[in-house]
Amino acid sequence: MGIDVQTILDGFFTTIQPMNLFWIALGGFLGTVVGMLPGLGPATAIALLIPITFGMEPTSALILMAAIYYGAMYGGSRSSILLNTPGDGSAIAATFDGYPMAQKGQAGQALAISAIASLIGGLIAVVGFIVLAKPLASFALRFGPAEYFLLMIFTLSAIVALAKGQMVKGFISMCIGLMISTVGIDLQTGVYRFTMGNVHLSEGIDFLVVIIGIYAVGEVLYNFLSINKPVGEKKSVGKIWITKEQWKRSKWPIIRNGPVGFLIGVLPGAGGAIASMLSYSLEKQISKQPEEFGEGAIEGLAAPESSNNAAAVGAFIPMLAMGIPGSGTTAVILGAIVMLGLKPGPLLFENNPDMVWTFVNSMFIGNLFLVILNIALVGILVKILDTPPRVLYPVIMMLAFIGTYTLGYSTVDFLILIVFGFVGLFMKMLNFPVAPLILAVIVGSDMEQNFRMSLISYPNAIGILTASPITIALVIMTIVSLGFPFLSSWLMKRKAGKNNSEAM
Amino acid sequence: MVRYITPILATLVGVIMLINAINLPKSNLGNPNGPMYFPLLIAIILIISGIVYFLQEFKARVNDFADFRALRIGKSPAYLLVSLMLMLIYTVLFDRIGFLYSTILFLAGLLFLLNGRKKWMSNIIIAVAFSFVTWYAFGTLLQVSLP
Amino acid sequence: MKKIVGVAALSFALILGACSSGNAGEKDDSAYPKKNLEFIAPATPGGGWDATARAIQKIMKEEEIIDQSMTVINKPGGNGEVGWQYLSKKDAHTLAIDSSLLITNNLLGQSDLTYEEFTPLATLTTEWISVAVKNGSPYETATDLMEQLKKDPASVKIGIAPGLGNNDHLSFVKAAKTFGVDITKLNFLVYESGGDVMTSLLGGHVDAATMAVSESAEQHLAGKFKIVAISADERLEELPDVPTWTEEGVDIVFPHWRGILGPPDMTEDEITYWNEAFSEMVETDSWKQLLENNGWEDFYQDSAETTQFLKEQNEMYTELIDESGLQK
Repeated sequence: MGIDVQTILDGFFTTIQPMNLFWIALGGFLGTVVGMLPGLGPATAIALLIPITFGMEPTSALILMAAIYYGAMYGGSRSSILLNTPGDGSAIAATFDGYPMAQKGQAGQALAISAIASLIGGLIAVVGFIVLAKPLASFALRFGPAEYFLLMIFTLSAIVALAKGQMVKGFISMCIGLMISTVGIDLQTGVYRFTMGNVHLSEGIDFLVVIIGIYAVGEVLYNFLSINKPVGEKKSVGKIWITKEQWKRSKWPIIRNGPVGFLIGVLPGAGGAIASMLSYSLEKQISKQPEEFGEGAIEGLAAPESSNNAAAVGAFIPMLAMGIPGSGTTAVILGAIVMLGLKPGPLLFENNPDMVWTFVNSMFIGNLFLVILNIALVGILVKILDTPPRVLYPVIMMLAFIGTYTLGYSTVDFLILIVFGFVGLFMKMLNFPVAPLILAVIVGSDMEQNFRMSLISYPNAIGILTASPITIALVIMTIVSLGFPFLSSWLMKRKAGKNNSEAM
Repeated sequence: MVRYITPILATLVGVIMLINAINLPKSNLGNPNGPMYFPLLIAIILIISGIVYFLQEFKARVNDFADFRALRIGKSPAYLLVSLMLMLIYTVLFDRIGFLYSTILFLAGLLFLLNGRKKWMSNIIIAVAFSFVTWYAFGTLLQVSLP
Repeated sequence: MKKIVGVAALSFALILGACSSGNAGEKDDSAYPKKNLEFIAPATPGGGWDATARAIQKIMKEEEIIDQSMTVINKPGGNGEVGWQYLSKKDAHTLAIDSSLLITNNLLGQSDLTYEEFTPLATLTTEWISVAVKNGSPYETATDLMEQLKKDPASVKIGIAPGLGNNDHLSFVKAAKTFGVDITKLNFLVYESGGDVMTSLLGGHVDAATMAVSESAEQHLAGKFKIVAISADERLEELPDVPTWTEEGVDIVFPHWRGILGPPDMTEDEITYWNEAFSEMVETDSWKQLLENNGWEDFYQDSAETTQFLKEQNEMYTELIDESGLQK
């Protein structure tokens, strides 16, 4: 490909044509609005909005769809922070500290830092895209079944390890999630598992229904427990802009996790959920104040937000450089641009460099636009918190059901939604970590299929673990992440013991 | 009591999963036992975790489940039960009487439950308005095929 | 002024004429279609079936082929099963997209519906299926690959998506069977999507893969992997160097077709109406553009031909599934 500055500049000028700017703005806005609804993530948002692109220029259509994509990512974190109801897998990590921040009266700051982190993460990734697209695409190809299987194991172990001191609860939560993911037809053999004879279940349980159930419905039900308590002083939404101190705390996490998210996004089949969760656990493990995580630590929000937006940009690399859709969302986009007569593949870069660079530049401008839009919206969005909960909760419930309907067009999903609403309620009451369950549902079936394919490709377990340098590295990282909590508490005890003995 | 029930329940779920996994149909293609490997693995991890959890709880002896106390006081249990009923009714009605009417009923039901009967006027307005707006936005603008 | 009156009079006459000739033309079917038409895409938005349905809806409307408005309805689930179950209970104002899944779902024991219960209205498109090997593969041609499989059926890892019993899988099974390979021992790795298959072939994690030509052509042209055979009856324009199975000495032609299905018990008049509508539609430029963009081939057959075609397909699939070890 080679980096041709002239082509990049040409792309920039095509991007700032009024019409293309209009598509960026429209897509970003629509994406933000749709993404804010519980259960409607980027993939659904684009799928629903595809009819707009009929008859459009392929380049403009691509710009529009990409704008919807990251618009929906921004929007998804809005509802994660304000209502604890993520719209998609990649927005889940934003609830860990974003929602506690909002409850502490820092909603405005949480929204602002998430927009800034997303912008910086996105920009880092766009630069990465320009410099590294081709070599990274071929690196991603080295990930075979064994590598993916171990990457997923590593991510799960990092999330389980987050529940410090309650790791066993994390394991139980993870197992339940994995169990859910085994429902449906087994790809490798065509055998039906745990479907109870229901046609709808043969395709498995959509992880988004589980997310909406546990977060949106579960959260509302959980609040029923305290709804009769006298309302305290009115929750303040805090300042809209972040303080210097907050910026200092989140600066490095944002910059560190942009590249992390970008690299994971490039891998076809990994995606934003894995990227943001890994970033979150990375930040928690290296943080000096890990106990603040989960209680509204600003870096716990900034890190995954930077990461998931970078992953969204990274996911375009396999799509544009090799014609491989790396995620559900890029698959939908790919399908749509094929309808418009574009042939994505390894030749796209060579045959249509102008289009590719226009697109890359549009991501630059789109991210800038979205930050402005989202910061402008902060003032309006925090008003949601002023809505009396007695009115807000029914509306969230209704939106949860509609979001669910758009996923499968079947009321069977409603029953699943209700079940997981109560599962979420009980997990919250029993203080069980939810994240391992959700992540397990998201990656479970891929993880199993990769495991089974590895069994075919390699003679035995040792063969899988030592298949390549990548797998060996992943195995070591898994062991470290599971062992780290024990190690650090042991070190703390030793240190404490030492101090005590010195004091004596 | 609660703190013993959960681990026992987890172990029990693991055992059920184990039995079900063993009884999965054999595959005609490739490895006949292929479909059961992964479920078996999960079941075993779950059983082990359940037992470890039980032992931990047994050792700990202290635990606070403030949330469960909330279940015994006030209207909370009633809220949970009634909203469960409403959700189930909604599920049944959705395909029968269509999106718009069932959603109005569902929303109105929840609002009357939470917001109280005294504000009946605003409840009805909110229910109708929100249902109509979403029906229009999804059905017409986004062309989602709603019943 | 006179001019305007003249134009007005002329257009009035034209409208009258148009109306009366319209009435004359519709004499037979004036009763059909009576109300809005429903068009079922048995999939969620964003997939090929949904896109096809919406494209047909758009062409039918813009080219004014049908007067009644047509609404696309998504009924995803069970490889089309949910949508076709819905169709089986409707009257002649509902149509659905179908494909060979209608036949294979039943043969694989995943559905009680058979194609015979419905009224086949048309076959519209086909895609051809390619078999590709990775770069640096020891198998230069499809014959090499098949010789190896004959020696040791389990020695080659073959990537397919998105499930066993689909066209990509069965076309390979049919070719192998025709060549004399023991097809029950073939070693398939099943991926979730065509993109995943492509990735694994590019990365060399499988030895061969089967996918639609529209998915693999660009990679072949760029020299990222090599297509060794296609399931078409003759070589394709865009891939002049790729032989068909027949040329490789394996006598098969295997289309991956899509068509239109009507509910049970449609009348002769209703069938005639759709024969006319679809034969008109496939001649439009926008339809041809759609085919080209998606890499589909025109495969139009009217209702009677389609009925016969489905019967042949059913026999072919029955035999294939019986022998592949897939049958429940």
